[in-house]
Amino acid sequence: MDPKLAEVSQLFERFKAACAREDVDTCCNVLSKLKVLLTGFSSLPPLFEDTPNAIHELTLARDIYEHAVLLSVKIGDQDAFERDFFQLKPYYTDASSRLPPSSQEYMILGLNLLRLLVQNRIAEFHTELELLSSTALENPCIKHAVELEQSFMEGAYNRVLSAKQTVPCKTYDYFMDLLAKTVRDEIAGCSEKAYGYLSVSDARQMLLFSSDNELLQYIKEEQPEWEIKTGQVIFQKAKESASCKEIPSLQLINQTLSYARELERIV
Amino acid sequence: MAATMVSSAGALLAMLNETHPQLKQHALYNLNKFVDQFWPEISTSVPLIESLYEDEEFDQHQRQLAALVVSKVFCYLGDLNDSLSYALGADSLFDVSEDSDYVHTLLAKAIDEYASLKSKAIESNAEEANVDPRLEAIVERMLDKCIMDGKYQQAMGIAIECRRLDKLEEAITRSDNIHGTLSYCINVSHAFVNRREYRREVLRLLVNVYQKLPSPDYLSICQCLMFLDEPEGVASILEKLLRSGNKDDALLAFQIAFDLVENEHQAFLLNVRDRLSVPKSQSSESVQPKPSDPEPTQNENSTASEDVPMTEGSSVSTATVQETDPNEAIYAERLTKIRGILSGETSIQLTLQFLYSHNKSDLLILKTIKQSVEMRNSVCHSATIYANAIMHAGTTVDTFLRENLDWLSRATNWAKFSATAGLGVIHRGHLQQGRSLMRPYLPQGGSGGGGSPYSEGGALYALGLIHANHGEGIKQFLRDSLRSTNVEVIQHGACLGLGLAALGTADEDIYDDIKSALYTDSAVAGEAAGISMGLLMVGTASEKASEMLTYAHETQHEKIIRGLALGIALTVYGREEEADTLIEQMTRDQDPILRYGGMYALALAYRGTANNKAIRQLLHFAVSDVSDDVRRTAVLALGFVLYSEPEQTPRIVSLLSESYNPHVRYGAALAVGISCAGTGLSEAISLLEPLTSDVVDFVRQGALIAMAMVMVQMNEASDSRVGTFRRQLEKIILDKHEDTMSKMGAILASGILDAGGRNVTIRLLSKTKHDKVTAVVGLAVFSQFWYWYPLIYFISLSFSPTAFIGLNYDLKVPKFEFISNAKPSLFEYPKPTTVPTTTSAVKLPTAVLSTSAKAKARAKKEAEQKANAEKAAAAAESSSAAANTGKDKSSNEKDGDSMQVDSQPEKKAEPEPSFEILTNPARVVPAQEKFIKFMEDSRYAPVKLAPSGFVLLRDLQPTEPEVLSLTDALSSTVSPAGGSAAGQQGSASAMAVDEEPQPPQPFEYTS
Repeated sequence: MDPKLAEVSQLFERFKAACAREDVDTCCNVLSKLKVLLTGFSSLPPLFEDTPNAIHELTLARDIYEHAVLLSVKIGDQDAFERDFFQLKPYYTDASSRLPPSSQEYMILGLNLLRLLVQNRIAEFHTELELLSSTALENPCIKHAVELEQSFMEGAYNRVLSAKQTVPCKTYDYFMDLLAKTVRDEIAGCSEKAYGYLSVSDARQMLLFSSDNELLQYIKEEQPEWEIKTGQVIFQKAKESASCKEIPSLQLINQTLSYARELERIV
Repeated sequence: MAATMVSSAGALLAMLNETHPQLKQHALYNLNKFVDQFWPEISTSVPLIESLYEDEEFDQHQRQLAALVVSKVFCYLGDLNDSLSYALGADSLFDVSEDSDYVHTLLAKAIDEYASLKSKAIESNAEEANVDPRLEAIVERMLDKCIMDGKYQQAMGIAIECRRLDKLEEAITRSDNIHGTLSYCINVSHAFVNRREYRREVLRLLVNVYQKLPSPDYLSICQCLMFLDEPEGVASILEKLLRSGNKDDALLAFQIAFDLVENEHQAFLLNVRDRLSVPKSQSSESVQPKPSDPEPTQNENSTASEDVPMTEGSSVSTATVQETDPNEAIYAERLTKIRGILSGETSIQLTLQFLYSHNKSDLLILKTIKQSVEMRNSVCHSATIYANAIMHAGTTVDTFLRENLDWLSRATNWAKFSATAGLGVIHRGHLQQGRSLMRPYLPQGGSGGGGSPYSEGGALYALGLIHANHGEGIKQFLRDSLRSTNVEVIQHGACLGLGLAALGTADEDIYDDIKSALYTDSAVAGEAAGISMGLLMVGTASEKASEMLTYAHETQHEKIIRGLALGIALTVYGREEEADTLIEQMTRDQDPILRYGGMYALALAYRGTANNKAIRQLLHFAVSDVSDDVRRTAVLALGFVLYSEPEQTPRIVSLLSESYNPHVRYGAALAVGISCAGTGLSEAISLLEPLTSDVVDFVRQGALIAMAMVMVQMNEASDSRVGTFRRQLEKIILDKHEDTMSKMGAILASGILDAGGRNVTIRLLSKTKHDKVTAVVGLAVFSQFWYWYPLIYFISLSFSPTAFIGLNYDLKVPKFEFISNAKPSLFEYPKPTTVPTTTSAVKLPTAVLSTSAKAKARAKKEAEQKANAEKAAAAAESSSAAANTGKDKSSNEKDGDSMQVDSQPEKKAEPEPSFEILTNPARVVPAQEKFIKFMEDSRYAPVKLAPSGFVLLRDLQPTEPEVLSLTDALSSTVSPAGGSAAGQQGSASAMAVDEEPQPPQPFEYTS
């Protein structure tokens, strides 16, 4: 076997071992080394050169990146997730004809969809969705994300939160927590617009908190501009008072008419 | 297995965000490879890559790579400025030899940028251009690459544009065809280099390169030197050639001289001539005999010889030298010839002979005009005289005047002035006998008795016209006449004459004489003096202009101001940017007349440059000035600025020609007339056509004249509208109810249409694309006829004969044939008019009968002459027959050929041949030039492959006796033709100059 490839596989084993030990620092270090080593292979994207070990290298690289993605979920680093996912993606899309499909593919795709949902990047979410085949859409991982999005769009926030119980995979938990927060932010944003104030209990119900304390905690951390007075939550509306300008229609009409009169007189 | 293609740059962009620098490098490297495909995706991440470029800690090479990627993305986004600045950051990674859209686009951008920076720096007179050295490096790499790849023209273009003369020189010297590249470069520098100073630098460089060549192209060098105004260089080249033992070199020298003469730069030519060194053993007398003032009582013979001091003096010298060193003798002999050429005498003489012998003017047209013009209408009467003068310009044929002395005598006052001056146009270039011709009208010394001041003034003006631009012999006389009179009419004539004769010589003494005439503050004399000062100082940009401007502010007379305004404009002729201060001063003046002069200054300073700034300025004045005169002139001036690109003019003035303001329309018509003169350009004709039936009379006048200028020398075969136009002219002239103005226009137009016996055209550019000073100045003053009709005669300065005149070593015209590869009918003379069957059938027959009889007689005479010539030729040949019979036979065959072709146009039934054999000297109209071919088996080979003008012929069989065509024919034909009019023969003058056509005998009309 190619010594370079051997080195990579060896390192990869160490990485997996570290993962199993949940030794995050070692994982990150090894992963970084692995990525650098991978740049040495010309069979990998974006070059896709046909080398004798191409299939093997591609599979290995895909494995590495899949682990990288999962690692990033584990440590809750969304940026790293995004980076690693994009680097993984060509293996699913462009190299799909040459590689046996990966068992983790749909799970990771679903994760990505979820991430987009969490980050409230709905446009990209749909772009990604369009790129998937119909069989992929049937996959429970994907389906879960799609249903979530539908509920999210409908405003059925309770359904979103309850979906947490039905996650197809443990790794989804991280994003589901985040999603709950996203949903809450969304609700908070709407209530701000819709109401001048709300009683604390109503607000608690509205924001789907189980206790008043949780609500107070939330307000303190996320919405410092809300005020709590005498059992009421008062939303600050002052900032959006920028009124739209009125069109001086009467003046304009008068002016136009006088122009027309003058024109007629000239002719 | 099919190659897998990557479908998105997302992975690479994600990799850029990795923390490890090696990953970033990898990503950048691959992005650079795929940027052409994925630039839309990458464009969103440009800020990220930019930050990589600016990251100081990053590896240098990687930073450049980042810059390159960003540059490419910006290029695709269409933001070339940013793209360029990043490409500069990429430094050596930006590969000029790469064949991609990106590189091409950016290179173009870089060169543009560099060129504009350079020229801006030079325009603001900064010592060193503040140019990014990296930008310079890119341009230099590009230039080097062009030179390496053998794309020399490209390299030269870029080098000129970027003002990199060092690179230009390198490109030229390293090219494989240096002569080709050099001539290309000369063309480019004239067509595309706008600033005069810079053009001079380029040309100086070219001259240097030329001189380093093993076999220099002297013709081109001398043209460049002339533009640079360096007579020493030309003189030394000419001398070297003349001193060479090879006859061909001498021929080349003659050819150079002729080419220089064509540009009509009198002061320069005189300078060259005076710098040619004198043969060693020669006495000082031949250097420059001062023109002596001949006594009026002297006989004609001696007067003639005195008038030509050059030929006279040098012929004496050759006689004395011949006994000394043979080399020196040869040199002296050649020197004599070349001096003759440089002084313009040789070419003028030959032109005169050509115009005389080929004169095809149609007297019937004049006769028709004369009859239809009302007796008492003096405008049309003098217009007819003008038309006659223009029609016969330079042909010395004054039959019409002689036949109509009675009619002529109706001209009084100023009409008489111009009638007399008209003789000058007819005898233009008749240097030897000009004085004797005009003697009856000239002021008679101190006695003052004789003629009226009008004819005397006119005669002085006529002398100026005869000697225009070659006034060495006549200057003194004109000065004396100016000083000895205080009649303003005579002063007027003398001033004009002096200005013409001493055109562009910047002679201080003459200037002072004219100035004193100006300071008499007489309107009539002052106007002429103003113009004359300008003529004298043409193109010198001398300090005198401010003096003239001051006086223009002082005087009360509009005429004087106008004369001075034009004069000032003339002084800045061709100075381009140098004239800007003066132009600014004039165009901002309160006085509309001075602003009007400013327009002329713009026109003349930027003549033929098509300079955008000048055009913009003129257009601005054409629509914004309050004075009609200024607006008219501004539009007219466009014609001068654009004459080097006649195709442009109709487009530029087409809107103005539809202006509501008739003055602007008039200006538009003349602008087209001036810039498209002699081209017969179809667009020009289409633009002028509606104007010839304008509602305003003077617009019609202008349009008719302009149309004639455009159509000069065209016949119906090449454009059917010519025939229509001729008929239109006839109709206007015959129409009793037509306005005087347009009638005058029509009469003048018929004159211009058949100018110079149908053998001249209006040409403002010489064949080497240099401007012809005299011609441009002539047209500029001509356009003044709006205010002063006698100035119409200035148009004769812009006439140049459309002839091929081949000359042998002795500067004689040998028999030589060449081919014109086009149907003869395309370029033949317009058919002579026949019996007009339209109106007044009762009145006309008598007139027609007499002329047709005359025409017949003339035809007969011509036939006789031809026969004579044939006989002479045959005789000459038979004398040589003994020596070489075989050759004789072949040349006889040739004779037969030419005869056959000559007679072909008469036989209508035969299909027209597709070519025509022309015999030296031949009429070759400008449009015909591209069809001219020289025969390979001919006895003579041209030194320069020029289709028209003066061409020196190398004799390939020098041992055989030569058959001369022009001189031979003349010696036998002169007597009947010259004598027919006057009926008497000047035997004395015939002795004086053998090969000259006879001067018609002086005649006098009773006033």
